[in-house]
Amino acid sequence: MEKVLVSFAAALAIGLTALATAWAQSRIGAAGAGTLAEKPELSGAIVILIAIPETMVILGFVIATMILLMLK
Amino acid sequence: MIARISNVEIVGPKGLLRDVLTCLWDMGLFQIEPELIRHVEKGDEEYIRPFLLDKKMLSERLFLEDLLLKINTLFSYLPKVSVRMSYIEPLSILDTIAGTIDGHASRYRELYEKKEALEKERSELNRYRIFLDALASLLGQIEKMPELDFVGLTIKEPDMVGRIRQLISQITDWKFEFLTETAEDGTLVGLIIIQKSISGKVKQCLSQNQLPELTLPPAFSELSFPEKNTHVKMRISFISGEIENITGEMTRFAQRWVPIYLNVKECVEERLSLLRITAEVFETRMCFFINGWMPSDKFEQVMKKIRDTFQGKVTITEKEILEEYLDRVPVVLKNPRYFKPFELLVKYLPLPRYTSFDPTPFIGIFFPILFGMILGDAGYGMVLVSLSVVMKKLVRKKKELVDAFSILLISSVYAVFFGILFGEFFGDLGHMLFGLKPVCMERRGAVVPMILFSLSIGAAHMILGLSMGFIAAIRKGSKKEAFYKLSGTVMFIFIIILIASLFELVPRLLTRPVLIAILILTPFLILTGGFLAPLELLKSIGNMISYVRIMAIGLTSVLLAFTANRIAGMTGDILTGVLVAGLLHLLNLVLGVFSPAIHSLRLHYVEFFSKFLEYGGRKFEPLRK
Repeated sequence: MEKVLVSFAAALAIGLTALATAWAQSRIGAAGAGTLAEKPELSGAIVILIAIPETMVILGFVIATMILLMLK
Repeated sequence: MIARISNVEIVGPKGLLRDVLTCLWDMGLFQIEPELIRHVEKGDEEYIRPFLLDKKMLSERLFLEDLLLKINTLFSYLPKVSVRMSYIEPLSILDTIAGTIDGHASRYRELYEKKEALEKERSELNRYRIFLDALASLLGQIEKMPELDFVGLTIKEPDMVGRIRQLISQITDWKFEFLTETAEDGTLVGLIIIQKSISGKVKQCLSQNQLPELTLPPAFSELSFPEKNTHVKMRISFISGEIENITGEMTRFAQRWVPIYLNVKECVEERLSLLRITAEVFETRMCFFINGWMPSDKFEQVMKKIRDTFQGKVTITEKEILEEYLDRVPVVLKNPRYFKPFELLVKYLPLPRYTSFDPTPFIGIFFPILFGMILGDAGYGMVLVSLSVVMKKLVRKKKELVDAFSILLISSVYAVFFGILFGEFFGDLGHMLFGLKPVCMERRGAVVPMILFSLSIGAAHMILGLSMGFIAAIRKGSKKEAFYKLSGTVMFIFIIILIASLFELVPRLLTRPVLIAILILTPFLILTGGFLAPLELLKSIGNMISYVRIMAIGLTSVLLAFTANRIAGMTGDILTGVLVAGLLHLLNLVLGVFSPAIHSLRLHYVEFFSKFLEYGGRKFEPLRK
């Protein structure tokens, strides 16, 4: 049972952050697409902006790994 | 790196101003500073003022602006045709052109307007022709009866037919004929045949129900339907001939005169630019005075040219840049050949200030390394090296693409290097085919060592960024900021040691002394950086953790390659297996180019450069043709 809970906690850590990242990227992506229509020269900056929320899922991944390794 | 820029003053007699500006214009190395950024002695301010155009220059400017407007207007009437080059000296024919342009503009405006009117009429007649053609077949069925009237309709939707029939039947008591036909362009046309006595009512009813009648021009009213059809076709043919004649005349004129006008236009625009620039020059009672910027290494060249051309009548001197005007200094990025292609990646960032650093060398050094670490596959790296070499030759005329493939080439070499270190060649294919083994670690199984490796890279990159911030503060001469940056860097190192000791990556014994050192440094940090300084430090720790993406994205790449090989193996057939593996590896390769590139850039733009770069530099825009 304990193993199940640990695995569930790790899954939550990465799953929720992945959802948060996806939500943030969807908003930035939509705004970015609008910006591109008016200022195509900002394409590079928009690609970077879209990549910014990925820090959340990276942190989630680190936490999930720590949960799995430390509570094993 | 950011090239050294000199502040230069050029002074000479007013009469030579235009020649001096033309000389600077030809060299293309000097940017005029429109603001007065020099120390002026008290009492001398009234003697230095922005240059005012004299009567002669002012009338020349007005004349040239008027001529340019007329040339542009004439061009707007003419068709776009490819023209030859004109070798006539434009200055010698300026007056002649000024004399001819009015006549040409008037003649071709007239022709242009006539052509537009004819095109409009032809378009309308084409609409009638479609209608009449469709009705021609219907009219054949109707006997010629003078007491009948014909109403034409264009029906937008086929569903309307029933409704129209119902409307007319209510008015005519079913004494009508309604015929429909599909026209050449697919639209549905209808013909209502009714008695003349009730045609007014029918037309009114159609109008009230937004069913506009297709009315022919008044000139057609006296003609019968077959005559109308013939007349429309003849008129269209006549108009087409007229339009062709006008276009021919305009094209002949454009081919003969546009090269000359283009040549004159270019000359006029150059002269006007020079005249406009004079507004950025200053003058005293006798002299003009130009202040501006130029790359320091070109100063000798420009000085020699000015001295030789004007026989010492114009002086050029290099001035010290005052601290308060540092923000006005334009920025020129000048990098060695290796770093030059990486300027492409820096273009997405705002220009750094003159006192800051050029991000190009940093991207040039670290971007390929991070890319290589993430991709880390010798097979993929070799494919990309070959692709880059071939593409560089294929697109050698397009500078941006050549730069992009140069970056890919360098980054791919690093991918090969890290691929050998990780023992990866198209995933585990290298191991299966020729027993390739990892030199340091196998990424697929070594999750924790790879996390630590990525964090170490992040820590090193962050420490370098924070240290550069310290150097930037010293260069600016801001002592308080320098102390803040230094204490921040030291604190960051201590925090890393503390975390490492807590996880027993370094001796646990270090925990207490490091903790005490952090506690001692904290007030100092707050004193120099304010109450938000500890938060900034935490942000740096977050930035460091962000480097875990090196491991995470690399792991997805290696697992996808591994899966591609396994799925190929499961097919049980060599040809199918090669095909499946090839497709999956191709997909992984495409992802393997974009993903590492975007994330490496992001690590630079967001995590690394935010520690020391100051944006907001002015672009160097010298006077040039």
